Amino acid sequence: MSIREPNKTITVTIDGQECRGEWGQTILQVARANDIYIPTMCYLSKVEPIASCRMCVVEVEGVEGMILSCQEKAVDGAVITTNSDDLYRERQNITRLYDVNHPLECGVCDKSGECDLQSKTVEFGVDQQTFAARDQHRPVQDWGFISYDPSLCILCEKCVRVCNEVVGDEALQISVGGYKSTIINTKLDQQCAECGECMAVCPVGALVSTDFKYTANAWEMEKIPASCAHCSSGCQLYYEVKHTSIDNPDPRIYRVTNEHEFSSLCGAGRFAFDYANEGVQQDARAFDQAVTALRQADTIRFSGVITNEEALLLERLREALAVRLVCDDAYGYQRFLAAYRSISGSTLYEASLKTVADSQAVVVFGTRIYDDNPMVKYHMAMASKHHKARIVYLHPMEDARIQNLVTQYIKYEAGSEEGVAALLAATLLAGKTVSDPLAGVLDNLDIGNLSAESNVGEEELDTLKRSLWKKEGFTLIVGADLYNHPEAENIARFIAAIERYSDFKVLIVPPATNARGVAEICTLSEAVEGYTVGYNAPGDFVLSALGDGDLDMPALNQQEGTLTTVDQRVVPTHPALPYEGYTLNQLANALGVGSRYTIDQTPHLPRDKGYKAIAFDDLPDYFDALGGEHRGYLLSPGEVETRDVFSEIEELPAYDGLVVYRCNEGSAFGPFDARSVHRKHEAVLKGSEQFAVAARLKGGERIRFELDGESYERVFRIDTTLKGTVAIHPVWDRGLSAFALSSYRFSQLKFETTGNE
Amino acid sequence: MSLEQFKNRNVGVQHYRMLDLSHTPQTGWGQFKQVVRRTLSLELFVGLKVTLREMTKALFFGKMHTTKYPFEKLPVGPRYRAIHEMKRLLESGHYRCIGCGLCEKICPADAIRIETAYGEDQRKQVQEYTINFGRCIFCGYCAEVCPELAIVHGGRYETASEQRASFSLFDDMLTPIDRLKEQKEFPGYGSVSPDADKRIHKTPLAY
Ligand code: SF4
Ligand code: SF4
Ligand code: SF4
Ligand code: SF4
Ligand code: SF4
Repeated sequence: MSIREPNKTITVTIDGQECRGEWGQTILQVARANDIYIPTMCYLSKVEPIASCRMCVVEVEGVEGMILSCQEKAVDGAVITTNSDDLYRERQNITRLYDVNHPLECGVCDKSGECDLQSKTVEFGVDQQTFAARDQHRPVQDWGFISYDPSLCILCEKCVRVCNEVVGDEALQISVGGYKSTIINTKLDQQCAECGECMAVCPVGALVSTDFKYTANAWEMEKIPASCAHCSSGCQLYYEVKHTSIDNPDPRIYRVTNEHEFSSLCGAGRFAFDYANEGVQQDARAFDQAVTALRQADTIRFSGVITNEEALLLERLREALAVRLVCDDAYGYQRFLAAYRSISGSTLYEASLKTVADSQAVVVFGTRIYDDNPMVKYHMAMASKHHKARIVYLHPMEDARIQNLVTQYIKYEAGSEEGVAALLAATLLAGKTVSDPLAGVLDNLDIGNLSAESNVGEEELDTLKRSLWKKEGFTLIVGADLYNHPEAENIARFIAAIERYSDFKVLIVPPATNARGVAEICTLSEAVEGYTVGYNAPGDFVLSALGDGDLDMPALNQQEGTLTTVDQRVVPTHPALPYEGYTLNQLANALGVGSRYTIDQTPHLPRDKGYKAIAFDDLPDYFDALGGEHRGYLLSPGEVETRDVFSEIEELPAYDGLVVYRCNEGSAFGPFDARSVHRKHEAVLKGSEQFAVAARLKGGERIRFELDGESYERVFRIDTTLKGTVAIHPVWDRGLSAFALSSYRFSQLKFETTGNE
Repeated sequence: MSLEQFKNRNVGVQHYRMLDLSHTPQTGWGQFKQVVRRTLSLELFVGLKVTLREMTKALFFGKMHTTKYPFEKLPVGPRYRAIHEMKRLLESGHYRCIGCGLCEKICPADAIRIETAYGEDQRKQVQEYTINFGRCIFCGYCAEVCPELAIVHGGRYETASEQRASFSLFDDMLTPIDRLKEQKEFPGYGSVSPDADKRIHKTPLAY
């Protein structure tokens, strides 16, 4: 897995077949890449080999005994046998041991039909048990959203590994005790990430979703391939649908699964699937009104939770109707990208999720990444676990949930991001040859002053610099705090400079599901003007997929189209549920710019922005045997003219006193996620004890405050994992108005108390 | 193919044989003679002999052969495949069905629907179960696949009704709890083979 290995090809002979592989690949990987089957039980591609099952044994000529193919690197010229009588007997014995005392409950087990133990038992013909072990009382454990049945558990350890190595949560442990061994959840009371990854990788029915349990069988549900619509990672998933009930033949989503061998999901993707706009019929009057509204509109305001095709339709409407397009989710991001490009000279940033995972040093700046994009956090965890990566986390608020990954936390004052960006650039580019204008700015920096104002100590930056020594693979992750900062453009230039003149690759995390697509496809204006039609956003006439507008629209799990992800990849998504109402494409048709189907727009996505002229139905959507991702396509890089202009840094803004930070704590991704009955979040203002003292508030008190022209009434809760005087202010419960926020994420708080909860 | 062509189609060489019947009288006189002959030889009563005998038995000796359907019904064979029955466990009275969904899966007519949930007793609970008898072809696959001998075919063959739903729900098919003692094992299609005891291996257990 190390990144330093050369790409040398090797040739081995497996079962008489000549196979090519790369140097450093294991025997199992070479076999899989060449379509040769080696049975495994505990092997999980996305973590380091676990080697607990010994099912993958093979024989290598000239080597005594059996060899674990999941661990052993393939050596050039090796002659390998994957199947012999001895190997068969060995595997049969392993299966026998797994089967001892295993409850005979396939008839009711949720895993039945896709259970690895079931398959192996059939494959190796274990049809009776001839010996027994002393049985234990092992009651089912309720972990809240998941239930764990220790008597079904085969202790393959996949769940533990995935929780540690991929999610980075370290919630699960194996309690070793011979036949009494079980898995324990050490974070039952502090709440683990509730992502369900452990459940997804469990090869048997030991870990199952509590809400799903016993409601449907694996073979009854149709798997609809799609992409998650909650954040900008656009993770691969399958909606599993079947009829709702005996008297209701309409399909319902029962659960979400994914290609868990290679890719992952967070809790929102896995459990918040029930956000469809259901029971909608075509309402011709509302449709006519919508057409009229669009004709007379001055502005169309929309959210970033939208497909590329819809974004293109909106852009067409903008041209045809001469309206302004306002997308609060994407506007700041678009400007930020433009400023970034003016220095980097390329339309694409260099990092991807994979480069994050392969890095040995990751710097995170301007994002509470755990909540903004869980998949980026997963990849940080992989970097940490697989490459012992340094993770430097710069943010005004420490995040206790990633404490185990972060090797250095640098706190800066809210509002001082521009200074921090400059300091970062000065630190990371020290000793590098940079362009004259940049050198001018960096030389002129009043480091002492910036350091004092932003509260980032020079020693901290020294430590950061020193910790990068002798490392390879650097990623700088920047996020949503920066995009709407008053000095966002200058920050973007510093970030781009770091990428251009150092070994750092930059990942500019889109702030909403398809903010990247919107930023590429639409010509956006900053603010609304005049009569406004809102599409999943407030307005004078509202088209809403939440079902609360003037005309209903399909939610993203009822639509086909593509999304542009944080990986700069265009991924397809398919509708899981039917939708009988009108779509944006039909509105566009009525106004003369639509197409027959929404997806007819796919090949017309702007080529100059890196999109390709590939029809929707021709987009690939699979992972290959070794986990190579073939979903849609990657945006093609393009060149941009550079303008080497940096602004001098003026006084940094100060946010004294009480500050709130707008952030969807607990990876709650907004109104669609909020509709889910499977996810339990509480929309409260969360602050530290210090905050409570400073604000003279007690936990449970109700306060009212105004931000961005919206009035909020919130219960205040003390969260002992927080520190400092910044409180977390969630907006996911605010319906469509949550999509109309484009201010800087930190704001000063003035409030009045209105009693107790 | 038209009807004409159909009738004249080449069906190969047929080996028909004519029966050796006496001639049908051709003239009116000949027909008259045949009627007189048949009447005088009391041929009619030869034909009615059995009828009269049975009538006498029925009228005077109370020996009736007609089944007075629907007041009387003939017993059906044990392998007859009519409306399904849902069995209970003899010991606990709990329904046998474990909600595995195999019958739903195997049914070639897609007649079965089952709804299950996680029950309070931590078991898989059958919330509703129904067979659409408008679709069922009484093939018996469901009874054969059932791992619990929970669904079997019963002898209830009268499937005409105003509301098919009236006998297609779980409760309608389930052995009434007060008649558990009368519940009989189904010996037909899908039941355990008579030598099952010999063929089943006991799983060793240790507590
Ligand atoms: S875990 Fe697999 S083998 Fe065990 S009861 Fe469930 S389906 Fe059967
Ligand atoms: S719970 Fe599942 S994944 Fe975890 S050790 Fe047991 S069988 Fe393996
Ligand atoms: S990381 Fe984002 S895209 Fe992936 S499952 Fe979670 S919410 Fe969905
Ligand atoms: S008898 Fe055949 S058609 Fe009828 S319910 Fe059973 S499996 Fe289906
Ligand atoms: S096959 Fe038997 S046990 Fe399974 S659901 Fe059908 S009736 Fe119930």
